[in-house]
Amino acid sequence: MSKDMKFLVVDDYSTMRRIVKNLLHDLGYANVAEADDGKTALPLLENGSFDFLITDWNMPGMPGLDLLKAVRSNDRLKKLPVLMLTAEAKREQIVEAAQAGVSGYVIKPFTAVTLKEKIDKILGAQAA
Amino acid sequence: MSNPAALRDPPQRSDTPAPDLLVQLQDLTTNLQTALDRFRLDSRLTRLAEKEVPDARERLQHVLKLTEQAAHRTLDLVEQSCPPADRTAKEAAALGEPWSRFRAGTITVSDYCDLITRVDKFLLVSRTDSDTVRANLNEVLLAQDYQDLTGQIIRGVMTLVSEVEVVLVDLARLAGTTGGNHGPTAEELARGTGPVVPGVEQGAAVVNGQVDIDALLSDLGI
Repeated sequence: MSKDMKFLVVDDYSTMRRIVKNLLHDLGYANVAEADDGKTALPLLENGSFDFLITDWNMPGMPGLDLLKAVRSNDRLKKLPVLMLTAEAKREQIVEAAQAGVSGYVIKPFTAVTLKEKIDKILGAQAA
Repeated sequence: MSNPAALRDPPQRSDTPAPDLLVQLQDLTTNLQTALDRFRLDSRLTRLAEKEVPDARERLQHVLKLTEQAAHRTLDLVEQSCPPADRTAKEAAALGEPWSRFRAGTITVSDYCDLITRVDKFLLVSRTDSDTVRANLNEVLLAQDYQDLTGQIIRGVMTLVSEVEVVLVDLARLAGTTGGNHGPTAEELARGTGPVVPGVEQGAAVVNGQVDIDALLSDLGI
């Protein structure tokens, strides 16, 4: 997988965005943009050429689930890999995310190893 | 056919309620009066609504600010510490090979002179870098002081929440609306309900960690 891939990290907490950005840099992905809500993320996705979306769920403006659904219903964005990185841990929420087309789901608190594994798995599945 | 006797002497209607009903009415009135007196005498209710709840909101906003500042400060120090730590590790690794040749007695003279120079430099630089990392670690330690301040604020708000709970329970009881299902609605789940907190009933099945999630997603074909 190309290390030039462009990531968008969406979370309403700046500290979490910073942590994920640092972890992505450690994995060799230097091209990382940020958004603080689904509402601000969607126009960035529509106008930019992102290769991977990492999003939180619980955000005040547009929750991550709605962002995922918006991405999957957009012809240009529907194949975008989407990894949910969230504290939401209820079974029916995970099922709903899966049904909405999420590519992977990582629960907070998480480890750098888990994040790498899930990104690699999604990219591997995409390449196949 | 009318009954003249009944018309002349209709049965007397009682203006006095039955004794049981009287007792119930009295109980209800007493309870209502007690509750109203409690709310009236309890000027806490007004103070809670007009001052303490808005203050609590500001206090929690301050907690958010303190924790965010502390987290960013810690991340700054981590980012500042990584380059010197990486430098030390990288140069130590690079010195490994010529050092092994030196130990084995196979190093050339010019490589030996080069090794001495590099080791001299490494000893100086790694000492400076270690001092930097150590100083940053001390700053990380100090940056955790937010927990004491935020802990005090949060504890104060918890006390307030307990008082508000008592008032709301009384109101709910008065309105006869106690009991019922308190689990999250579908809409609340779609918006997100926040992290699972140990000891707090979630009202819906919760997965037990990343392994469970991976298994669930695998069953769903992801």
